[in-house]
Parts: sequence; structure tokens; C-alpha cells
Amino acid sequence: MLQKHKSRIRPSSQGERDREWSRGEEAPSTSRGAGGSQEPRGSASQGSRRSEAAPAVGPRTQKQLELKVAELVQFLLIKDQRKIPIKRADIVKHVLGDYKDMFADLLRRAAERLQYVFGYKLVELEPKSHSFILINTLEPVEEDAEVRGDQGTPTTGLLMIVLGLIFMKGNTIKETEVWDFLRRLGVYPTKKHLIFGDPKKLITEEFVRQRYLEYRRIPHTDPVDYELQWGPRTNLETSKMKVLKFVAKVHNQDPKDWPAQYCEALAEEEARARPQPQPSAPAPSSSSSSAAATSS
Amino acid sequence: MQSSSRRMGVMTDVHRRFLQLLMTHGVMEEREVAHLQKHCYKVHDSSATADKLEDFINNINSVLESLYIEIKKGITEDDGRPIYALVNLATTPVSKMASDYAENELDLFRKALELIIDSESGFASSTNILNLVDQLKGKRMRKKEAEQVLQKFVQNKWLIEKEGEFTLHGRAILEMEQYIRGMYPDSVKTCNICHGLLIQGQSCETCGIRMHLPCVAKYFQANPEPHCPHCNDYWPHEIPEVFDPEKEGEPTISRPHRKSLRSRQH
Ligand SMILES: [Zn+2]
Ligand SMILES: [Zn+2]
Repeated sequence: MLQKHKSRIRPSSQGERDREWSRGEEAPSTSRGAGGSQEPRGSASQGSRRSEAAPAVGPRTQKQLELKVAELVQFLLIKDQRKIPIKRADIVKHVLGDYKDMFADLLRRAAERLQYVFGYKLVELEPKSHSFILINTLEPVEEDAEVRGDQGTPTTGLLMIVLGLIFMKGNTIKETEVWDFLRRLGVYPTKKHLIFGDPKKLITEEFVRQRYLEYRRIPHTDPVDYELQWGPRTNLETSKMKVLKFVAKVHNQDPKDWPAQYCEALAEEEARARPQPQPSAPAPSSSSSSAAATSS
Repeated sequence: MQSSSRRMGVMTDVHRRFLQLLMTHGVMEEREVAHLQKHCYKVHDSSATADKLEDFINNINSVLESLYIEIKKGITEDDGRPIYALVNLATTPVSKMASDYAENELDLFRKALELIIDSESGFASSTNILNLVDQLKGKRMRKKEAEQVLQKFVQNKWLIEKEGEFTLHGRAILEMEQYIRGMYPDSVKTCNICHGLLIQGQSCETCGIRMHLPCVAKYFQANPEPHCPHCNDYWPHEIPEVFDPEKEGEPTISRPHRKSLRSRQH
């Protein structure tokens, strides 16, 4: 099995090694080197792609396409681990290169593999946002965390609390109110927390970057205050009903004990159940038409 | 490889959850993997009889093949415990690490990797690694930060630290074997028994061949007069014990013991 792959990685010079390792551009937080980041995505197939030199468009072999899809799947999986939405432009730049004319087709194939093999659904964050995320189609179960050991994500609990708070307060909440509440749980904005690290940064930067939360300055406030709302990822990954059930469980009550929220959650469930054109799926037609817009 | 004669397996949620959780771990020991498999059956299909772990993984691998991904089994170089990792074959391991590390951190890893591979013992001292921080690409890194970054590599199972010296974790060897062979063809060492990449092990003082410790253990098992499989000269090193899953938890090679093995290789 392994032998078959060996030939794809050639012995290389120090110069090539340097280039290989200088591709820090994967990490969104990394400062990018000016030179290297313009290069096509570094992958084992790079050499073969270059030598076969099929510039522009032309028929690609089944195997070439398969490898491209594989690279795309891996790219999406790696990016998703950080929960940061994956931009179409980054996919083109880092993976597709001169295959970008096939963006829609390759993305559709990758989405199919991600769903079938890993149970992740690839969706566009918001219509026409050209940002994609993976949604887990498997319900999390409590024992997962146990199996995962300490590698789990304890921050999910905090996120759920904040999401619940926002929903219960009518879908928008002032940041000061969030901290008033969290203080009672022993979480302070400015104090380093054993599990959450810097809670202020986690809530107002990390969760925002991951698109779970929207964070906006409230105009004309003195002192300055900000408000929080659900972000698009939250609407895709969970629902008002699920969050309400979480809140109810924490309070040891029934979701129906909050009639207004319960009705709202129910209405959302019904709206979602109605068949509608899937705006979130990376539909080939809309994606290819947007290709021109983002690839410049 | 897509024209495999092997029948492609069928994925169910049991397999998918298994893959997802294996992925979040990066690397797992065999007994954890077995536990994970049981867990996934319990969640999705408690009535089904579980496949044998080997068959279960072969089934998943047959599906992963077209994605150039593989669940690879290996053993730790020091005490021979079986481990599993999800390995990417389409992209370099560097691109996998690159999502977790900044440019200067990646470069620090490369420096450490090169020192480890070039070393006789398979270990690089933290002093030697830290001496290179001034040459790192990207943002300047202070020695103190570099120490923390090295600890991060240990935490994420790319490196192992023993007594202030670093070597590659079994995960890194599983994921990077081809890559390392491709990048450093002149300095890599190979085990005379299993022909796999060798970072740390024992070597013959006469002809210079090398063997993994677990390979030594198996090869010379119950042999009171061990001789080099290549030149037949007397094998002067202590023979480690074969890994025994019944004795889990206790590393079969204790620290002072291991050190003595290493010091004799020079
Ligand atoms: Zn060996
Ligand atoms: Zn010999």
C-alpha cells in the first residue's frame, strides 16, 4: 500500500525543503511570507502537476481528478478543525490552482465524500458568502467526550450558555449582561480561567471568528457597549429548540415553561421542515457563476 | 490504486463516528482504539456484532483509499506498543501541521527533526535545538517561547521528551515516514529487521546495521547468545522485553535502562 505512494514524493534539495516548510500560510493567524504564499498548494502531487503541464483547461484524467478531490477533502478537514469558515478564494489558491474552472464539480464531489465517509455535511455559511463550513451529521453523545479524554472541547459548554442567554433575552443581548451572568458562574472577563483561558477573548473573538456569534458595537452608548447575537454557524449547526432544551435541562425545567421561546423555537422547526430551495448546499450553478466574482 | 481489486467497504455511522473521534485524537494506542470501536457500536448499533478490530479498520481503509487517507498501524519505537493514526497520503504532513502552527513554529519543528535524524542516538538535546532559534523563519522567537513550542509538539504527539532530549513520536513516524525518506534520503536510517524508518534503536558495533528496540526484542527473544543478523558478531546490547499487552501501563524499558542502551551505542 505504502509503496505505491512512495514515488510521489521525490528526494529533494535543501531549497525545496525550505519551500516546503515555509508554507505557513495554512494557519490563518500566521503572518504570511510575501513570496511563498502565491505558489500553488504544496502537495505531493505538485511535481506531477507541473511536469504534466496541462495549463488552462483540458481534459484531466480520472486519477488526476480523484487526487484533487482527495486534496480538497483533506484541506477542508484540516481547516474545519479550527472551526474557521473556509473561503472559496482560499480553496482555489491553496488546493485547486489550475483546476479552478472545475470548482463546482470538485467541491460537489468532495462534499459527497465528506458526507459519506466522515459524516460531515459541507454547507455554505450564508447564501453567496463563498464561505463554507462542515456540519457534523452525527449527534454528539456524552460518552464521546469520555472517549476523547482531555482532547474534548470544554468551551462548547460556555458557548451553549451564551447562546442560551442570547435566545432567552430575545435574540440580542448586551455584552455587559453576559458578564453579569457569567460572573455568577465564576467566569470573569478579565481573569484568566482555568479551562477557558481568556474568557473575553474566547467569547468576543474566537467564537466570533468561528461565526457562532455576531459581536457589534451598540451605537451611541457611553460608556461603549457591545451586543451579541447568534452567528450563521449557530443557525446551521443547532436550532432554537435544541438550545432551549439545553437551557431547560440546566434549570431542571421543561422547555414549555418558557412559552414565548417555546413558540418561537417551534415556529423555527416548522419553517425548517418545509421544503425549500437549499441555499446552503454548494449548488453547482450558483457556485460556478460566482467563480468569476471571487477568483480575480 | 483506485483500481483496487479489494471490494470497497460500506460506511455506516458506526464507522463515521469512529473516524471522527480518531481524527480528533491524531494518534491512539490499540487498547484505546478497541474501546473507541466498542463505544461507536454502542451509540449506533448496539445489537450488531462488532467486527474484529482488524476487519473493521480494513473496511474503513478500503473506503479511504480513494481519498489517499489511511488508518495506519505502527508501534512505538521504544517499547513496541501498537498505535494507530489517520495518515494523509495526498498532502504532505507539513500541511497538516501547518493549520496548528505558525511559520516560525513549523521551522522549529523542522530544525528539531533534522537534528534528530542526523543524530546517532535519535535524540536531540533541547539545548541544541534552542541554539537554532535565531535562525528560524518567520517571526522572531525567544528561547523561552521556543521551549513552550517544543512542549506543544510533545503535547500534540509529534515529539517525545525524555530527560531533556527530544525524539520523534510514533505518530510523527507514522505520518511522516515517506516524507522524511523523500526529504532526507542520505541521513535516514533503516531497521535491518522490519526495514521501516528507524529513529532510535540499537546498532551493531562491527558492521553498523541498526534495529528497532521492539525488533531486537522479538528477534532475540529467548536467545541467550544474541548475534548480529548481518555480520554474526556478538550483539553487545541489552535485549529489551517484547511488549506484552497484559502488562499495560508499565513501559517495558525503564528510563535508566534505556539510557544505558543508548550510551553504549556510541
Ligand atoms: Zn524494525
Ligand atoms: Zn553486525
